[in-house]
Amino acid sequence: MSASPSANMGCMDEFLVATGLTKSFDGVQVVESVSFTVHAKEIFGLLGPNGAGKTTTIRMLSTVLGPDEGDVTVDGHSVGRESDAVRRLIGVCPQELALYPELSATDNLVFFGRMAGLSGKEAKERAADVLERVGLTERAKDAVRKYSGGMKRRVNIAIALMSRPRLLFLDEPTVGIDPQSRNHIFDTVLALRDEGMSVLYTTHYMEEADRLCDRIGVMDAGRIIALGTPTELKAQIGDPGATTLEEVFLSLTGRSLRD
Amino acid sequence: MTRPILLALLEVKRFIADRGALAFSIALPIILFALMVGVFGGETSFNATAHVTDLDRGQAASELIERIEQVEGIDVRLYTEERLDDALDRSAVLTGLVIPAGFTAALEDGRPASVQVRRRGSGGDAGQITVSIVRGVADSLASEYELRRALSHLVSEATTPERVEAQTGILLAEALREPPVRVVNRALVEQEEEEDILDRMLPGIIVMFLLFSVTLSAQTLIEERRNGTLERLLTTRLSADELFTGKFLAGVGRGMLQTVVLLVLAFVVLRIAGVSALAQSAVLALVVAAAASAIALVIAAVARTDDQATWAAVFITMFMTVFGGTFFPIASSGVLELLSRFTLNRYAIDAYEGILAETATLGDATFEIAILSGVALVCLIVARLLFRFSSEAK
Repeated sequence: MSASPSANMGCMDEFLVATGLTKSFDGVQVVESVSFTVHAKEIFGLLGPNGAGKTTTIRMLSTVLGPDEGDVTVDGHSVGRESDAVRRLIGVCPQELALYPELSATDNLVFFGRMAGLSGKEAKERAADVLERVGLTERAKDAVRKYSGGMKRRVNIAIALMSRPRLLFLDEPTVGIDPQSRNHIFDTVLALRDEGMSVLYTTHYMEEADRLCDRIGVMDAGRIIALGTPTELKAQIGDPGATTLEEVFLSLTGRSLRD
Repeated sequence: MTRPILLALLEVKRFIADRGALAFSIALPIILFALMVGVFGGETSFNATAHVTDLDRGQAASELIERIEQVEGIDVRLYTEERLDDALDRSAVLTGLVIPAGFTAALEDGRPASVQVRRRGSGGDAGQITVSIVRGVADSLASEYELRRALSHLVSEATTPERVEAQTGILLAEALREPPVRVVNRALVEQEEEEDILDRMLPGIIVMFLLFSVTLSAQTLIEERRNGTLERLLTTRLSADELFTGKFLAGVGRGMLQTVVLLVLAFVVLRIAGVSALAQSAVLALVVAAAASAIALVIAAVARTDDQATWAAVFITMFMTVFGGTFFPIASSGVLELLSRFTLNRYAIDAYEGILAETATLGDATFEIAILSGVALVCLIVARLLFRFSSEAK
């Protein structure tokens, strides 16, 4: 079993540094002055209600979207000025199932591996390793469209692992899957962290964040409104031993419905 | 350059893995072409009308008309000379037969007789066959008249068997030297070159389905934008330009695969064209596929939803198919001719037709190839300027 979150708190190297990120679409400010760091070998949780700006933030961190203001560095490389260097360091698992359903899991992985700069031989070997890691070796040659929802989610994560990233972005990776697949993903994420990978993880499931994340940033209306370890956040509203992260979340973001 | 090619190869692999797309792009055109061959190219029993003017009004002319009417598949319609010429002028009739005055008298006297054929252009296939049949009927009638006249002559002179044999030999020799009835052709309008509808249909169907499948791949691009694969690719080491190039090459690859399969099938099954024409057609297919792929990228750049992309692709394809001469020859002037200039089909079909008929080479299609290449280039530039790799703000 993987180590608990608190076991990694000793390592504090800043691997990702986001400073004053701001982004607007059609005059609407979606992200406003967001600053935080993700340490090396840390699982950093980015929580927030729908429309809080989490995904836009991840798109800016992962070189897809340029910020209107602010900057991001990954292992010292600026996302804006050295995007190619940054892309060598990151793996992105988007919220959507961003894969080709007509093709097999192996074909998907090999293709994205090649796009990440691996040779054909390297990509095939790496695909076999990664598929074993996510428990899909036996179905590797089946078309992805025949997979269950949980299996597709695991392929989605596997693709992000092809380039051996040092920083992994997981945007709501457990949406709509059964407890078995979810637990498998938890174990995989914790194992990756233990192997030295940094993970930026977004989710709507508070117990998931509580179980996995070393530190958490809570976003609402485009801003970071709270930052700390799960224990520190719980302590803000009561006894950490008796308070849940969901209570903290609702206390910080309110109970009104969001889009 | 490796990554765009890998991207294009992946798209071709997806195309092959998608049975629905394969059926639509390859099986459907084959079925459609087979149906067209069945409708326009199959064998049928012969039926025609002989349009006849009788200026002779004698017994032999009446007998000739009666016997033509007795031929299976031929009906006779009688005209005055003025009405026949009027019908020919209006192209309501393409071939008319005129039995001249003195026809009966000539046959009775043993002189050469003639039937005049008045035709518009080539006279049409049915007209030519009818004339051939009439010639046989008239010859037979004339022979009968000649025999009747000879027998009557021999009976009137108390003759010997030797004299009958000698006279018969003379008559046979005359008949061999000159047919009993001369058929005189008179063309009213010079023959226009006729186009075999099937010759145009194969290139037309190839281009139509190429446009359908490649422009509908715009829909796939929108879908990819929505489900995040395009954006995900941008987090790899693939640049935006490489991604765009890869998608363009993917369209070209799909179009080429589809066209080459159809051309090879046409070559093997229908024996259309030779190996050289086939190879030149494949080169032409590359240019056509490039133009279609670039159009698909423009659609994908402009459309925001799958539905918008689908309807834009269908509209463009149908416009080009209808006005580009896929099923019917393009008018030589007027609005239809003008509209046809805005279609890929016109240029592609013209070039394919010459090459497949082996009456032209790629070199002869320089103008068409230049137009198609120009369309590809302009559309690529427009698409690159407008293309978005991500969906709306998330």
